[in-house]
Amino acid sequence: MVAQHRRARRGQGELESQVLGALRAADGPVTAAWVRDRLGGDLAHTTVVTILTRLLAKDVVSRERRGRSFAWTPTADVARLAALRMRRLLDGERDREAVLASFVTALPPGDEQVLRALLETAEDTADRGGEDR
Amino acid sequence: MGVFVFLPLVLPLTAWPVARLAALHLHPRTATRLLTAVAVVMSVCSTLCLALLMVVGTAQLPGNPLPDGWSDPQVRAAVPCDGIAGRAAIPALAAVTASCGRTLWRHRRVIRRARRALTGLPGPRVVVLPDSAPYAYALPGGHGHGRVVVTTALLAALGPAERRALFAHERAHLAARHHRHLLAVHLAARANPFLRPLRSAVLYTAERWADEAAAQAVGDRRAVARAIGKAALLAPAAPAPTLPALAAAGPVPRRVAALLAPAPAVRRWPPVCTAVGAAAWGAAAGAAVSAMSSANSAVTLFLTLYAATPL
Repeated sequence: MVAQHRRARRGQGELESQVLGALRAADGPVTAAWVRDRLGGDLAHTTVVTILTRLLAKDVVSRERRGRSFAWTPTADVARLAALRMRRLLDGERDREAVLASFVTALPPGDEQVLRALLETAEDTADRGGEDR
Repeated sequence: MGVFVFLPLVLPLTAWPVARLAALHLHPRTATRLLTAVAVVMSVCSTLCLALLMVVGTAQLPGNPLPDGWSDPQVRAAVPCDGIAGRAAIPALAAVTASCGRTLWRHRRVIRRARRALTGLPGPRVVVLPDSAPYAYALPGGHGHGRVVVTTALLAALGPAERRALFAHERAHLAARHHRHLLAVHLAARANPFLRPLRSAVLYTAERWADEAAAQAVGDRRAVARAIGKAALLAPAAPAPTLPALAAAGPVPRRVAALLAPAPAVRRWPPVCTAVGAAAWGAAAGAAVSAMSSANSAVTLFLTLYAATPL
C-alpha cells in the first residue's frame, strides 16, 4: 500500500513535467481532453485534471472557462516548475545536516565585514598586478 | 577485556584537537580522507563495543531470549561495572541505531526528491534553474555522473571566470564523490557524539578540496575566491548564532582567505615532529588503538560467551 502510494506520488511529479510540456507544445489554450490525447498512454481524465489543478496551485499554468470545461495555458516552462520543486525541497533542508553540499554556507553577521575586507584586498592586489579577468 | 571495552567509546574525544590541526595544516584532500577514515573506524569500534556491552546487559534481564549461561558470573566479570554499563548500553545502542537509520533515510529521501524535481529537464551535466534565490548544488547521480544545479540569479551575479570557477568547484565535488564522505561523517557523528568535531572539520575540508581543485582547473585562485565571496554575499544571512561566536571567522571567509594565499603543498605524510604530524599520527594511533581494543574486547567476550554456552 505504502509502496503503491509512493509510486503514484513519484509518477505525479513526472506527470507534472509531462503535462506542462504538452501544454507548451500546444498553439494556444487547450482542454484537459486535448492534453490527455497528446500524452497518450492510459491516463484517466480525472488524473490529468488533478495534475492541471496542482500546476495551477503552483502558478505555472492559468485557465479560462470555455463552455462546460476549462482551457489551460502554460505561464511558465518546465525549468520554472523544477525550480519551484527544488526550492521547496531546499527550504525544508536548511540545517547543519544538509545532505546536498551547498556552494557557500550562509554568513553569520560578523563574517560579512571580514569577507568584504578580504575581497577588497584581493581586488587591490589584482589592480596593482595589472591582472584582468 | 577489562576497561578496554570502554576505550573505543571515549577515544573519539581525541577527535577535537586532531580535527582542528588537520583542517588547519594538512592539504584539504589529505585532511578529508584522513578525518573521514578516522571517523569511520572510531564510530564502528565504538558501536561494536556498545553492542558487546548490550549483550552482557541483555543477558541479565529476566525473561531474555539469550542462553542462561550468558549471565554467569564469569561473563559478568569480563565487564567492569557490568550492571550499570550493560543496562545503559541497551538504550544507547537503540538510540544510535535509530539515529543512524534516520540520517540514512533522510539522505536517500533528499537525493531522490531532488532527482525527481529535475526530471524532464535537458542537460545531462548542468541544470540552470530560473530562480531568484542564488544557490548552486552538486547533485550526485546514480550512474557515476551527477548534475550541477545552479540558478540564474547566481550566474547573473558572477563574471565569466567566476562562473567557470563555480562549475569547476561543483564538478570537483561530483568527481571526488564528496557526498559519500559527508554521509560517512554524518553517520559517525550520530554513532558517537564525540565525533562531531570530525564532522564539522570534514564539511569544511571537503569544500576546501573542491576549492583547490577548482583553482587548479581554472588556473586562477583569485577567481575562485571572488566567486565564493560574491555568492556568499548574495545569499540570505544566517540567523545570529545562539552562542556568542568564538573569535574565529566562519567557513566562508576562511575559504576565501585560503584561496588568496598560495596553494597548499601536497605532502604524502607529514613528519612527526611538527604539530600537523602530531595530529595526523595521533589520529592514526587513536584509530588503531580503538580498533585493537574493540577487536580485543570482541574476541574475549566471544570466547567467554562460547565457554558459557551449554552445548
